[in-house]
Amino acid sequence: MPQIWPDEYWNPKNETMPRERLRALQLGKLRDLCAWAEARSVFHRERFEKARFSADQLRTWDDIRRIPMMTREEWMASQAERPPYGTLPAANPEVAIRLHTTSGTTGKMPLRAMDSMRDWEWISECWAYGFHAMGVRSRDTVFIAFSYAQFIGFWGAHYANEKLGAMVIPSGSLPTEQRIKLVIENGATVLCATPTYVLRLAEVGRQMGIDVAGSRVERIILSGEPSGSVPAVRRQIESAWNARCGDTAGMTEIGTIFMFECRQQPGGAHILEDHFIEEVIDPETGRPCGYGEKGERVCTSFGRGILPLIRYRSCDIVEKRPHTDCPCGRTFDIYHGGIQTRVDDMHKIRGTNVYPRAVEAIVREHGEIDEFQLVLHTHEASGRDEVTVRCEMKKGQEAAWPALYPALQKELAESHENLRFNVELAAAGELPRFELKAKRLVDKRRKGS
Amino acid sequence: MSAPTPTPAPAPAPASTDRLGTPVTPAEAEILRIYGDLKRLCERGDLPPCAARNARKALACIHVAANDLDLVYEHLYDLGV
Repeated sequence: MPQIWPDEYWNPKNETMPRERLRALQLGKLRDLCAWAEARSVFHRERFEKARFSADQLRTWDDIRRIPMMTREEWMASQAERPPYGTLPAANPEVAIRLHTTSGTTGKMPLRAMDSMRDWEWISECWAYGFHAMGVRSRDTVFIAFSYAQFIGFWGAHYANEKLGAMVIPSGSLPTEQRIKLVIENGATVLCATPTYVLRLAEVGRQMGIDVAGSRVERIILSGEPSGSVPAVRRQIESAWNARCGDTAGMTEIGTIFMFECRQQPGGAHILEDHFIEEVIDPETGRPCGYGEKGERVCTSFGRGILPLIRYRSCDIVEKRPHTDCPCGRTFDIYHGGIQTRVDDMHKIRGTNVYPRAVEAIVREHGEIDEFQLVLHTHEASGRDEVTVRCEMKKGQEAAWPALYPALQKELAESHENLRFNVELAAAGELPRFELKAKRLVDKRRKGS
Repeated sequence: MSAPTPTPAPAPAPASTDRLGTPVTPAEAEILRIYGDLKRLCERGDLPPCAARNARKALACIHVAANDLDLVYEHLYDLGV
């Protein structure tokens, strides 16, 4: 009699695999990946030799620590020395069918990432785990609010939904108003975008006289920003659209997502542990962190063998929790609260650490605020660092400002060791809007401060 | 111009267990057989472009299924996939 698989899982064999078997699977793949990288990638071979590491040393789980960790800086340096791709590629670039780059907007050199035909099938496969886990099926109509350009982001989501058999509506460079019309007129049941842009769609819809809560959208798959796991942001999105959210996270360096939220919404996202090894370490000492301890995620990807990513320091701060925190039956562990912040996203203002995501979590508790900006600057007379939160109110909500701003100022101070935040009202339409990764931090501090 | 290989090597017997040593199911055995067949097809040098490229596309897809089910873990770049 043919086996009947539960509909809950995309890959029931692995998603419900006992942990010890999952570890054995990961260790076997890691050994093969390291052997491949050692044989085919000059970048890895040189680093392995320097660390006196060889793939055949991987016998137990603890042996993973023998593998040297790699950084984005090393990858960039390799590209700079041997342009355009550096020494990381483990195969002839001619096999690639597409090239994507990172934006390089933070002053860093863009990373060039290429993928073969098989790599693209794998990229969409990882997304398929996530969409399936949130209940997306072939009967769905999926609207992807994404500009389909160099940012690799939602390309994989598009192909995953085609693989699932859903009907995908791409939206390319269409303006927001037209996108809303497409969602409504075509009865989209799933929306996929960044958290910022999902809120933007709702607000523009409201201004157009369209109540998106009355649309057919039932599920919203978020990616591209850490705020997809911020409770206040999620509450606003779910309320505005009358739909359920599922967070995901990925990065250009792997080309796809490494975690996804399931329908149980356990307050975090399951790690795709049959395709990745995700370690969490103390960013200062490299000591492994246990469950419930915040640390930097270190990623090993079993896909995209053309650019082997082995023990890659991501700079993302996460907190791993056991799979048993979620009742869905998956044995994949969870990143509680998604990507909580970044190692390089901490800003010291008069001795106090300010994290943009923490500020966003507080600002988004106020549903009357449409958009905001975090400005760091130097006080002209005193020369001391200042932090200002500029807020733009939703149309029709302006009257709430006089009561809102002292409350917001108090909340921000209380959550930042009583650091004084300036809170200012911005004019309607003054602050920038974002489709992809929102850039709300503006650092105008004088150099050396 | 690559040398044609009109007669592919005989098909080796597919593995009877997955990567963790569990016996494969009949469905998994079928996936493995198709995977092996497509690999051999892609190794041929006598396919016209329409067959050579579509065979690679098919191999990429079946590889993902076989990898998901822990039946294989390997890279196919040398086959142009």
